[in-house]
Amino acid sequence: MSKGIPLAEALARYRADAELGQPPVLSDIDALLSAYHPDHMSGSAVKLAVGANAGDSCQRELAELLQAEAFIDEADLAGAPVTDIDVLVIGGGGAGCAAALAAAENGARVLLATKLRLGDSNTVMAEGGIQAAIEPEDSIQRHIQDTLRGGHNIGDPALVSALAGDGPEVLHWLINLGMQLDQTPSGDLHTRRAGGMSTPRLVHCRDYTGLEMMRVLREAVIQHRSIEVWEQSPAVELLSNEVGQKCVGAVLTSLLDGQLRIVRTRSVILATGGLGRLHLNGFPTSNHLGATGDGLVLAYRIGARLCELDSFQYHPTGLLHPSHLAGKLVTEGVRAAGALLVNGLGQRFIDELQPRDVVCAAILRECREGRGVCVDDQRTGVWLDTPRLERAQPGLLEQQFTSLMTRTHVAGIDPRREPLLVHPTLHYQNGGAVIDTNGATTVPGLYAVGEVSGGIHGRNRLMGNALLEIISFGRRAGAAATANRDRGPKKVTLEHVNHLRRALTLAGLPMTQQAPQILPAYAAGGIWNR
Amino acid sequence: MTTNNATANESGQTPDVALTINGLAVNAHPGMSLVEAAWHGGVPQVTSVGCLEGVCGSCRVMLRRGKEVTVGLACQTFVEAGIEVVFLPPASAPRHHYEISDFKDGWDIHARFHKIFPEASRCRHCHGCVKACPKGIAVEDGVAQAVAGRYREAGETFFECVMCELCDAACPELIAPAHVGLFSRRITAHFHLRPPNLIHRLDELRQERAEACRDEDGKK
Repeated sequence: MSKGIPLAEALARYRADAELGQPPVLSDIDALLSAYHPDHMSGSAVKLAVGANAGDSCQRELAELLQAEAFIDEADLAGAPVTDIDVLVIGGGGAGCAAALAAAENGARVLLATKLRLGDSNTVMAEGGIQAAIEPEDSIQRHIQDTLRGGHNIGDPALVSALAGDGPEVLHWLINLGMQLDQTPSGDLHTRRAGGMSTPRLVHCRDYTGLEMMRVLREAVIQHRSIEVWEQSPAVELLSNEVGQKCVGAVLTSLLDGQLRIVRTRSVILATGGLGRLHLNGFPTSNHLGATGDGLVLAYRIGARLCELDSFQYHPTGLLHPSHLAGKLVTEGVRAAGALLVNGLGQRFIDELQPRDVVCAAILRECREGRGVCVDDQRTGVWLDTPRLERAQPGLLEQQFTSLMTRTHVAGIDPRREPLLVHPTLHYQNGGAVIDTNGATTVPGLYAVGEVSGGIHGRNRLMGNALLEIISFGRRAGAAATANRDRGPKKVTLEHVNHLRRALTLAGLPMTQQAPQILPAYAAGGIWNR
Repeated sequence: MTTNNATANESGQTPDVALTINGLAVNAHPGMSLVEAAWHGGVPQVTSVGCLEGVCGSCRVMLRRGKEVTVGLACQTFVEAGIEVVFLPPASAPRHHYEISDFKDGWDIHARFHKIFPEASRCRHCHGCVKACPKGIAVEDGVAQAVAGRYREAGETFFECVMCELCDAACPELIAPAHVGLFSRRITAHFHLRPPNLIHRLDELRQERAEACRDEDGKK
């Protein structure tokens, strides 16, 4: 097996005006996935030994964190200042902001605590758009079917129909908050068709959909009279009642002064996002710096059931070059607009609008079988044929993909003239905490929304369903958490941590590693060496 | 980071770039962004880093080259020999308060704008905001458009704004241009975005729900 076509040779062979025809017909999708998708790499998954998912398959690096020691015990809480609040939201991305706004709209006093700055999240980087069935030929039912099929029919139908049914109302709510979306000349919302969609359903704000959404949500949260925001305040542990079976608050620390703070509440909404920064299986990631899977660790330790822990989305088109953007995305919208994927031999090899997992596996196949474009010993990719798109629709890249153009311009690359080198990048956690249609987890008092939750996307998420999910389920959880009007916690304890320690000891597992991780090691240790 | 080792070899042949970050001497490889250089040099307490691709506006830095002082985003700025870099603290709380749900009537929006942002009309064209903007936005023009009531145009001017709020810090009149821009965008959508395809679908769903309710009542 050769390593691939050397860059210079592949460039010489590449022609933006070559007649490419149709890609080869894909006969067996399952065989392609099981041979090439990273989830199926040998050694990628292990069985969990303790907790609500004991016996289930889980990605190896994640399993180490789920079965790790806590940072604190009861003695650490002595003297920590206590704050009482109706609803605590942990996480300051789109899901957290939507949950906080919904809780506040319903009359709750809300505290939103976030690890970094309010708005630092994967939401702000989402370029492609948000799905909602609003076109005349489209329907809620078709949206449900596409989402379930895209997730390989593993998704929870009740959650998916809640998601799809909320689509139009979510857009209404966002527009009322002041979010702009692209329109056709006649004033309709402009829609695109992207991977796994049977009809155009992707609403967008050029390729800055997430940025537009996040800056509006962030401003709305900051300005809201009933929402208090604590930045640089990661959660290190949840709090439970005397028997360790209900969530009654959280322990936050501060990245600035390290001080622990106790928050007592009736409802905690986890909106901590995903875990790309764990670099599963050694992959680069598109995720922001804080995506270290903290919410999964906290939820699992207090007893919440999780799902699909061995299923992650590797986005097909992460940039291979320039290296300071390694792993960062070229939005699927570029393929939706007509850009093709071409291997080092100048051939198409997959229908570009297949679901993401299929396209990703196909790219990895090309690279592994020596048809990739080889930059050096460690980096191989394929072309994303943006010059062809420019030829077919002059000006489109500049008008609709401003973000891509700006980022590549900084690095001295012009996608209108040269194709982009891409390789799959760790993008999204398909599973997460098991929830109902209110976003409630299996632990009373604990809600989970957005990427940290699971069950909607099955084993593969379609583009545009994440931005819909964070608003749809963020609002559902915010409203449900506010409706919880019990008397609030009598006693806050770390009883669930004691349960876990006993289980870890019985299972003979080491207690050397502590979790949640909070920041990647390279962001603090002087070990970054690219 | 195994995935990023590739260029370490390439850069092994070129000499390191010496700079200071938050007062600490750092030797970085050429082509590293300032964020990477801070990680590489083990600079402590760099917690204002987010997306690493220039859209979250968190990694605000002050840059000193000799006597020249500028600002920028650390993930979009590359190492230079001798440059002094200081990661800036987060922006302070906003001084201009409004809730968009309070706006019921579009006709008085201009008066409200000047009440919320009284400083906006006092721009003295010092270009501080324009020079500070890491996205090359014509910030002064955008503020002038908003002051003239041209909110759609103002919002368009601020389209690429990532809310780093460096222009707010640079404004001697405390105008808060980033928030003027976002206000302009928000009220444009709030009052003028009325897409027929969405409205039609919302209406259909409302009728379906009403029918479902009637059927439910009928059964009882």
